[in-house]
Parts: sequence; C-alpha cells; structure tokens
Amino acid sequence: MIYDQARYTEGNKHEPLLSEKDDTTVAVDETDSPLPDELTRDELTLPGLSEPEIARHYTRLSQMNWSIDSGPYPLGSCTMKYNPKFTEDVAADPNAAIHPDRSASSAQGNLGVLYGLQEYLATIGGMDAVTLQPPAGAAGEFTGILVAKAYHDHHGNDRSEVIIPASAHGTNFATAAMAGYDVVELPSDEGGRVDLEALKAAVSEETAALMLTNPNTVGLFERDIVEIAETVHEAGGLLYYDGANLNALLGRGRPGDMGFDIMHYNVHKTFATPHGGGGPGAGPVGVVDELSEFLPSPRVRETDDGDYERFDPDHSIGKVHGFAGNWLVLIKAYAYIARLGDEGLADASAKAVLNANYLAEQLEMDVPYGPFHHEFAATAGDRDAADVAKRMLDFGVHPPTTKWPEMVPEAMLTEPTEIENCRTLDQLAEAFNNAYSDTDEAIETAPSRTTASRIDQVSAARNPRLSWQALDE
Amino acid sequence: MTQPDGSPFAPHAAAETAAMLEAVGVESEADLFDIPDDVAFDGEFGIEPRSEQEIRGELRRLFARNNDLTEFMGRGHYSHYVPSIVDHLSDRAEFLTSYTQYQPEITQGFLQALFEYQSMLVELTGLPIANCSMYDGATALAEAALLADRVRQTSGHRILVPEYLRDGKRSVLENYVDGAGLVVESYPMDDGNVDREALAELTDEETAMIYAENPTVRGTIEEGLSEVGEIAADTEALFCLGSDLVALSLLEAPASVGADVVVGEADVLGLPTSYGMGLGIFATRESFLRQVPGRLVGVSEDSDDRRAYTLTLQTREQHIRKERATSNICTNQAWVALRAAMHIASLGPDGLVDLAEDCVRDAAALADRVDDLAGYQAPVHDRHHFREFVVRSDQPAEGIATALEAEGFAVHAVDDHLLQVCLTETNAHATDGLVAALQEAA
Amino acid sequence: MSFDVPDDLTYLESHEWTTTDDPTVRIGITDFAQDELGDVVFVELPAVGDEIEAGSAFGVVESIKAVSDLYAPISGEVTAVNEELFDQPELVNDDPFGDGWMLEVAPSDEAAFDGLLSPDEYRDQIA
Repeated sequence: MIYDQARYTEGNKHEPLLSEKDDTTVAVDETDSPLPDELTRDELTLPGLSEPEIARHYTRLSQMNWSIDSGPYPLGSCTMKYNPKFTEDVAADPNAAIHPDRSASSAQGNLGVLYGLQEYLATIGGMDAVTLQPPAGAAGEFTGILVAKAYHDHHGNDRSEVIIPASAHGTNFATAAMAGYDVVELPSDEGGRVDLEALKAAVSEETAALMLTNPNTVGLFERDIVEIAETVHEAGGLLYYDGANLNALLGRGRPGDMGFDIMHYNVHKTFATPHGGGGPGAGPVGVVDELSEFLPSPRVRETDDGDYERFDPDHSIGKVHGFAGNWLVLIKAYAYIARLGDEGLADASAKAVLNANYLAEQLEMDVPYGPFHHEFAATAGDRDAADVAKRMLDFGVHPPTTKWPEMVPEAMLTEPTEIENCRTLDQLAEAFNNAYSDTDEAIETAPSRTTASRIDQVSAARNPRLSWQALDE
Repeated sequence: MTQPDGSPFAPHAAAETAAMLEAVGVESEADLFDIPDDVAFDGEFGIEPRSEQEIRGELRRLFARNNDLTEFMGRGHYSHYVPSIVDHLSDRAEFLTSYTQYQPEITQGFLQALFEYQSMLVELTGLPIANCSMYDGATALAEAALLADRVRQTSGHRILVPEYLRDGKRSVLENYVDGAGLVVESYPMDDGNVDREALAELTDEETAMIYAENPTVRGTIEEGLSEVGEIAADTEALFCLGSDLVALSLLEAPASVGADVVVGEADVLGLPTSYGMGLGIFATRESFLRQVPGRLVGVSEDSDDRRAYTLTLQTREQHIRKERATSNICTNQAWVALRAAMHIASLGPDGLVDLAEDCVRDAAALADRVDDLAGYQAPVHDRHHFREFVVRSDQPAEGIATALEAEGFAVHAVDDHLLQVCLTETNAHATDGLVAALQEAA
Repeated sequence: MSFDVPDDLTYLESHEWTTTDDPTVRIGITDFAQDELGDVVFVELPAVGDEIEAGSAFGVVESIKAVSDLYAPISGEVTAVNEELFDQPELVNDDPFGDGWMLEVAPSDEAAFDGLLSPDEYRDQIA
C-alpha cells in the first residue's frame, strides 16, 4: 500500500501556528477590572480567532496525524488496540460528571463503577485488592513500590534495593530511584529470560522488590517464575508485576497465581482506552491481601445493603493523585471489560498472540528470541532499525518500536495486537519487508509521503525552541 | 465475522484463524502460549459479556444513582463551561486514538497542538519553558519539589507549603519527595493569605522550596507575592507558585513576582467536572531546562527545510536515562492538554480575561448575599476572592452541608463551622436557590 | 573504520583523553567516543575551581538518544572550561582532540597518570 498523508503547506511551514493566524493583546489594566491594578497582570497576548477558524485549524492538524483508526500501529510494548467508540459515550454521561468531594451518599453511581472496576481487575490479575488512583502506568509502578516500602517499614525492615532486569521498561528504573531505592540491574540469560543464578546472587536482605515484566519485553514468558518468586520471597523481598504486557495473558495466566505480590494494570493498553496522543491513561495497582492495608486512600467497598462507601486502609500510604485518578479513563476500561467478558478477554489475548506469531512468520527479518507471545523483537541486522522504520511510514503503516530492548541488535519490537485481520497483517508484513530490503539511500532519506520529511532531531536538541515566543528570538 | 464468543474487536473469521494457525505451524491457539501448567489459569473471571446497548443502559442506571445536585464546589477541581467545539474537535479519532509522537514525521498535527499548548502556558506564566503536561496539580507540585532538590546547590531539604494546602495535594507531595529525603512543613496563613512575616521567619538555608498558591485553596487572592519571591531568593530556595489557567489570565504573571516554577490546574479549561481528573501545569525558567520532568515539544526543520515539530531533549526522560531520569513519567495527559488549548483558543484573550473577571466579581457578589443571611458571615477572609470563598456558619457546617444536599445543592464543609462555596458560569443560574437553601438551613 | 588516536596523548578505558606534558593538562573525549555517541547536542561540565577526581564522573555528554558520563583521567583542580561547547556542542564531533576539548586541569599529584592507557593500548581496546 502507498500512503500520502495530508500536508498543508504555506511557504516554509505547514499549517501556521494559532499565533501566526492572530495575535490579540488585551490590556488587562485598562479593562473594568474588579481588582486593583497591582494584583493583575498588565496584558495578555493570545490568538483571538473565530470558531470556524479554530475548527479548520484543528481539523487540519488532525489530518496531519496518524492514529489507530488510520491504520496499523504495532508499537511493541504499547498495545495500540482499537478503542471501542461506545466507551466514549458511556464516559460522557452527564450524571458521571460530578465533583470528587461529593459525599459518598450522593455519589453512589461513581463509587459503584469504581467498585466494579476494582473487582474486575482483581479477578483478572489474581489479586486481592485494587486501587484505581494512579493516573498512568508509571504512577502505578510508583504506587506499588511505595506500598512495598510501607510494608517493609511496617515490619521494621529497612531495605535499600530494587532489582530490575536490564531489558525492563525505563520507567521501572526511574520509579525505583524516585522512591529512594538503589537499582540493581539483572542480566538476561542466553535465552533472553531472567538469569536465575544471577538473581540468586543479587537477592539479599537489602532486596525490597524485584520488578518483572511477564511476558518480558521481547515477549518471552518467564518459565522459571515460580522459582523466581521463591527466590525473592525467601530473601524477604516482594515481587512486582509490570502490567505493560498483560495483553498476552488474559484468561491464561494471572500474576497473582504466579507469585506476584503487587502489579499495575495499564488500562490504556490492555483495556483499550484511547492513548490520546500520549495520555491520559490509568495505572491501577493490585496487591495481595497482606499488602492491602497499605494501598492509597480512599478505596471503595460495598456495604451489606448494596451501597458503596469510601474507606481508608489502616496503614495507607496516603495519596498518589490529587483526587481519584483519571476518572473518565476508568469508566471506559470498565465498559470495555464488560463488553468482552471472560470469553472475549481470553480471545483478545489468543488473537494478539496469534497475530504476533503470524506476522513474524511473514517477515524477512530474524527474530532471535522465542517462543514469544503478543510481541516479538525482530532484528534489522546490519541495517539501521530507525531508518527502516522511517521508510515504513511511506507504506501506510506505523512502524514498530525501534532499537529497544537493547538485547536485540537493531531491534524492531512489534506488537500488532488482536485487532488486525490476516489481510492487514499481510500488508504490514509487506511494509516491513519492502522497507527492510530497500536501498540504503531510500531508507536514509525516508519518509517522503508523510506531512514532514525526515526531521532534524539534532538541531532541535542543540537549539531548543519550545514555544512560539521562542521562534522570534 | 467474529467467532461467537470471541472479542468483538478481533476480526478473525474461523477459517482465517485456522489458516493463520497453519501458517504458524501449530494446532491451536493454546499451543502458542508458553505458560507452565503450574501457573496457567484455567478458572473463570465470572465476567458476563454484555452488548454495547446493555452496557450503556447498565451504566446509565448506575450513574443515575448519583444525586442530581447543583454543585458549588471547587478547592482544586473546577467547573467551567466547555464549548461544544472542544468535544467535537478533540474527539476526532486522529487525535484521540493516536500514540505518543515517537515518529514525528507522521504526527505533526498533535505535536503542533502540544507546541501551541506549551506556548499558551509560556504567555500565561511569563516563564519561558512549559512542558506538555503533568497528571494533575498535585503531582506537578511534587515534581517541582524534586526539581528544586536537583537544582539547588546547597543541602536544603525543607519544602514549605501553606497550612491550608489540600490534604490530598500535601499527601501526594509527601509521597513523591520522601525518596529524595525532603520534608514537607507548613507555614501559617494570615487571614487567608501567606503570613509573610512568619514565612520569612521559617525560611532558612535548609529550605529548598517555598510553595504558595494564587488564588489560595480558600479562594483568596494573594497580595504580596513579590515579597514571597524575595524571601525565597534570599535563601536561594526556589519559589513555586500554584495557579490555574483562568486565574493566570487575570492575576499577576508568576514571572513578575519571581516564581521559579509554576504548577497547578490546567484542567479548569477543556475538561468538564470529571471527578478530579486533572491536567498539571509545569512551567519554569530557562536555566532549569535540562531538569524539567515530562515531555517537551520543540521546533526543527525537515529535510525539505520546512518547519517541523518533534519531541525533544528526551535524554531527560526515563526511556533513555533510566534511574537518573528527571521523572518516571511516561504516559501523560496529552489529550487533556489538547482540549485545554482548544478551550483557550475558543475563548481568546478577551474571553479569558472576561471569564476571570467574572470569577472575581461573582464570588464577591454571592459572598455579600450570603453575608446578609442570618447565621452566616462571608467571606470569612477579608480579601479579594477568585471563584470561591469561605463562609462561617453559626450551625455546624456538616449539618448545613447535609441539609443543602437534601435541597439539591453541594458545598464543601471545610471545618466545624466553615463552609466553602465556589461559583462559576456553570452554577450561576442556581445562586438564588442556594441562598434560599442556606437561609433555610441556618 | 579507523579512528584517530594521537600519539602524544594518554587515554582512559572510558574513552577520555588527556595531555601529559603541561603544567595544566587538557581533557576531552576520543574520536571513537564521539563516533559512538553520534551527534553531540549537549555537554555539561564542572566550573573553574571545582575539583575532579580520577575515575569519578565530572560531567555528561549527550546525543539525541544517549547520555554518557565523562570520567576524569586524573585528579586535580579545574583551571579552564571550554565554554564554546555550550553553544557549539558539535565541536566535540568535528574536532574531538582540538576545538572539542573540555577541561584544563591542574593535576594534584605527580603520579596522576599511573594506570592510564598508552595510545597503543587504547588502539587495542577499540580495535
């Protein structure tokens, strides 16, 4: 397939900035202000445009943007699946649009949905208690590690280290550091999984937790998970599950059954809430019974007479979001899970894994590690994975995640998800293969059919201009 | 055609699945899973799949269990009227269903919108650097404290915050800074605003950051922020100011009172009341650029020499710098930022200033009316107010709040005899009813 | 691909170079290092008067996709910093042994250069 993206061009730029369309200054001190001058700003300069102008501006911008509704978006570890439209309507219910400080008795509907989602997620992950407060996956990680810390503190154990496999998401490392832990990086074994001997050598009475993604970031299931869990638990540490790859396991394996004590869910991945160009997501956290008393406040429970109430866990860490997290996202996740039910969830994972395996089969590139599940890391070998990816943009697909994880040279981490049919996967494979076998010149100068041709990242970083004000300097 | 019991969003026909399994060389989908038996799940979740129509009905009924109250609530989460254009444009699937712009050539539209959002924050705060979102005001404040810890030359570990800071915000702050060894302490307020003498007294060489809000959580407008900036500067502490997009349109620009970082609620525009879902402002000085948390959109050129936008300075972020990243944030609130920018564009500078001035005028007018009622004094603080104000009630505040609920109104009970009332254009139609209900409950 | 390894310099395994014959020595990163990093976009260096310690990180060099610590070949006091690099980090790529130098340092002891690599030893390392 050939793809030509919309491109509005005016001189040396595309759609002009709002500020280039209009620049209106209001002299605040000359308005009939209810405040004394010394408490107000002097003036405010912003675009003052009519509604039709604004509609056109943003419509054009939208046309210069790729999305999952445009075509395949197989970014590994990102789980770009279709976002069912009806979930938007459900979340837009005006009755759900209430203030977070509402009394519990006047907010039974919201509390009911929160309770329902807590229950769904607990059973899906095999966990005993869930908080919905963390507003993103990384915030979920941070919440989980704070819970681990509170647990150790409560038991008088001052532990200083969090163990993380080298192939883990960057957020794991950053999260552990933010929580004040030293990071112990764990090498992979030859097969691409946790090196059990290295783990045994790494654990100690300093180990607060091991953070693990399973299947891992090249799609491999950690087959030694029971022994991994025993090793960590015997050292007195906790086992943390990074939920980024949960879309591989629905209905086939639950972190709680594998010995994990804490997990986060990425509802914007596994449960199909839209990514919104980078967010909002939500990163609920599930824990085993023993850790539930440390979860953030408040949680929601059902009373004997079928009402819902908020409560503070006995040794709660407090709050990780100003209010109740990304509420609108949580509604959409609830609706998605309800739509699929047991069979649909299991089928989503089955088809996600089938699609990844089928796609890999069609590629000319090698896939060094297997058997993989919902995603695989192909290697571009002696070609530059980033250049191959840029060339793919010309073929009506979004490329995979490139050059990560580092254990695969020139990695192209690919996750087609369950939403693609065979025909689309064939087209995707063709885009991979065409780009991979194209000439050096073609891939180095690609893309040409997108709104922008290859962008100079170096000058953007050497001379940062981060606002329209900075363009005039 | 989908299989009868499969996901409605997985398009595989049975024959298609069979052909794909054959291509892969396995008998069944189950053969693709490399999960040892002892940890494989063979139970049921017990989640009954429902049709789209059933779920819409189910949730409509559930949400109808929320009492239909007219809310006069604020304290960090505000309701402003969001024009229809914001919904219609932001809901375009090209925006809503896109991912982070890791391939900028094909995502210029969203990048430009975020660049414009950053630029609007630069105008509103007067600070030259703004990121393209934090989760909410609370986490933005926490990130500011961590930035203060990174950029400060000396060993300070104290973060000074107003005694009236929302409990939730303070708790988030404490959770974020604990790992860095910082300690959160309160400074007293003087009739609603910063007690600057007491603050000066409390501030020392160990102070890493002073945080103030304008308007304060009680709705008062600060009158001596430059002095607060000087107190911070005197000890080389950072001055972090919390505000929101509407207030920033009217009140003193943070840069002009010496703010080093501006945080707060950008969700006041673009998002309707949404049970506390947020959008955190983060703006700061040029010199802290390399220490900013979160994503930044910058300008560059493409190979045809045309202006192009791209995420930049990513070496600050977790996917490159790992445990030495400026923050662990990855997924942010980009789509909410898009909506806020659309709302700002829709109002324009005149509309923004008008809206902000109404927030001052209307709050004062309502406070006067409440003050005229027997059993109430309002506003409690002898200050200018923005959107909201505190009311002293002769009767216990909780009892009054409960009585108001029965009459269809929601207000905050913030202390034994203190209520808080917040007024915007979304509840202005109901002030007569509120005043009558207050009178009834006195 | 062969990399320039001047014979009059001494090297560190982590790809820094240092002069040896001056009262104050110059420090930078090697041709090999700049090539590995790719286009340098930012350099963070200590201030004049700061002490650096052999084997410890004294600064950071960044490209688009990577961040590397800079390790001190010797201990001593920083006497000069190449401020050109703040506006023109590309000098590190263009001329790593010349205009792309980073620091001048007054070594704190005579044995400062013990344990560093000769040009031949460094050539072997990057071969």
